[in-house]
Amino acid sequence: MLNKSLLAICVACALGLSSANVQAEPRITVISQWSAGAEGDAMNAFGHLVTKAGAKWEHNPVSGFTTEMMNKLRADIIAGKPPAASQLKGPEIQAWSQIAPTVNMDALVAAAGYEKVVSPDLARLHKVQGHWVSLPLQVYRVNTLYASKKAMDKIGATALPKTWDEFNAMAKKMAAAGITPVAHGGIAWADTMYFDLSLIGVSPDAYRRAIMNLDDKALRGPEVLAAFKQLRQMTGWMSPANAGQHWSVFIPPLMKGEYGFLMMGGWASGVLKRGKFEEGKDYLCGSTPTSVAKPVFDLNADGLIFWETKNADLQAGQKITAQVAMGKEFSRTFTQINGSIPARTDIELTDSTYQDCQRDAAATLAGAVAANQVVLSLAHNMAQSNSITAALRDVLTEFVHNNSITPEEGQKRLADAANAAR
Amino acid sequence: MVAILASQIGHGLVPAPEQGRARWPRARRFWGVTAVEQIAKLVAVLALAVAVLYVVGFTLWTTWISFTDSTLLPNYTFVGIKHYTRLLQTRIWQVAYANLAIYGFGFMVFATAIGLLLAILIDQKVRAENLLRTIYLYPMALSFVVTGTVWSWLLNPGIGIQGFVRGLGWTGFSFGWLVDRDMAIYTVVLAAVWQASGFAMALFLAGLRSLDADLYKAAQIDGAGPARMYLRILVPAMWPIVIAVLVILLQFAIKTYELVRALTAGGPGIATTLPTTVVYDYMFQRGLMGAGSAAAVMLLLSLLVIIVPYAIYRRLSARRRIRHG
Repeated sequence: MLNKSLLAICVACALGLSSANVQAEPRITVISQWSAGAEGDAMNAFGHLVTKAGAKWEHNPVSGFTTEMMNKLRADIIAGKPPAASQLKGPEIQAWSQIAPTVNMDALVAAAGYEKVVSPDLARLHKVQGHWVSLPLQVYRVNTLYASKKAMDKIGATALPKTWDEFNAMAKKMAAAGITPVAHGGIAWADTMYFDLSLIGVSPDAYRRAIMNLDDKALRGPEVLAAFKQLRQMTGWMSPANAGQHWSVFIPPLMKGEYGFLMMGGWASGVLKRGKFEEGKDYLCGSTPTSVAKPVFDLNADGLIFWETKNADLQAGQKITAQVAMGKEFSRTFTQINGSIPARTDIELTDSTYQDCQRDAAATLAGAVAANQVVLSLAHNMAQSNSITAALRDVLTEFVHNNSITPEEGQKRLADAANAAR
Repeated sequence: MVAILASQIGHGLVPAPEQGRARWPRARRFWGVTAVEQIAKLVAVLALAVAVLYVVGFTLWTTWISFTDSTLLPNYTFVGIKHYTRLLQTRIWQVAYANLAIYGFGFMVFATAIGLLLAILIDQKVRAENLLRTIYLYPMALSFVVTGTVWSWLLNPGIGIQGFVRGLGWTGFSFGWLVDRDMAIYTVVLAAVWQASGFAMALFLAGLRSLDADLYKAAQIDGAGPARMYLRILVPAMWPIVIAVLVILLQFAIKTYELVRALTAGGPGIATTLPTTVVYDYMFQRGLMGAGSAAAVMLLLSLLVIIVPYAIYRRLSARRRIRHG
């Protein structure tokens, strides 16, 4: 009796499963590094939009630095089962599209008229041999300066420093007032980012030649030396007790006024918003100091790349996901949560859910595009492939943590490392 | 399952039940003893084949990859020793090996010395010996990740020992090794010694206990003091155990990875990088499989430099024992 009813249930299950297979409900498998916090929330919102558009959303985040996610991706590719879509960015899109087949998105992009509303620099990064295989999800301004309102009040400052000289003067005042001027945790990529910011503050043009093109003459030139000198100045403003700690650890003491400044990409805005801190009341936000007149934008953009699959349900899901990712609603929802700015250039950041800091970043981007001063971030693997980035990062992180290396020596080591890695 | 059981019965590992023994001749006729033995051999050979494939096979494969231009995925273009020569010139590899020398030496010397001292103290027929032995051996039961994390809290100047002592009133107290690039490698030594000296103690204690009681008595009759007795007589008598402890600790040192990851993450800067962290970095962060494999092979070679002389020593001393009968 029992056996018979079990059998009946099993048959029913089998029938149910097979009929589900026949219908092949569209679904999408995604991996990304965005597991928690504002980033995780933004991904959930993305998933919600995809579900609403009719595809089942299966997101498997791999938390940590981007490379941790890429190890999972590589294992999946070697196993012959890449996810239908994954986060990937910058030069890695070119490199990885060589090791596994991707999906050509040209028709979908053309149908959505998407190419017209994305900046050409961004479009170039997401195409392989002229074909769209990935889509930009968001843009971050890496060169964002956050200042603690309490620390600023203490030294009687009301506006953010515009140049490195102003910055150094303010930092000096803060140090005298018992405030640690720069909140910095000392993880290798963050050390590298402070170099990014130093050099673009000196000359975005030199940054492009030295870091993006690895031009030896520029690497050994006066602008890079000036950047190393500024970086050495800044390491003096950092707390020597901080090593190997994540920048977000310093958000609460920064807001309390124990630290003065934090330089971090726009994702810090998402974290601050989630922590219920208010711009203007708790902190000030703007571009990091620069001595050039026109706006400079150090770009970090994340993309979504689509991997070839034979499953009809996944193919349908890829189509739906791509359409959602190119849409205005996604652009708004995603960026409002995580503090980035939309990849689409036709979105006004007038909604009250946007922060002033994001509007400022968007204005900086527009100004920098017009002045041709958009550069790609080295620290965030946008300027070079992982191997070259890591070789330069070794030099920069050692420089930040070792005061006995002079700026001249640091510059020489950086140029030598670039030569060896090239 | 039946085959395994049968082979164990055949080898006398599992006592055959009485009833079974009565029926055994018939079973033997059916299977035959040689068949049972062959099954046992087959099982052993399969296990051995898997081990050989995984250990030797992949070692050879990694070595081959180290001579190729592999990056994200294996690529079999032969490039000779390019990765090796390049790696030897990189600063991070030089720093890593200098660190390994400091760390390996400090770890071996201190873990052995503290382990020996603890063993000798426990050997004095102290009360609650079992309890003490368990406590000292306990750190070995922890994962290196746990050790690293706990010590990273203890050594953090803000929240750890320094913060605690300052809180007690000694505001000038300073203990910031963890964030001092010149001293950070010694924090790795400290945490590793804490973890492994109990293990050394256990081996030394077993060694001391295995010595003939007559040795103690003879030494006492000859009027040797405790220090002299241990250092001149008992420790030399268990010399093979001392060598074994040193070799085990050294291979621990060479393959240390998680401890550094959890304790300092290789920092400040690159001050506590070890060869293992470089291998991981090249393989999984930089996507340079060829160069990472070359680093792994060099690491293996440095292990062989230790293991091979030790194996030769073992063989020679075994031969000597046979000769002197």
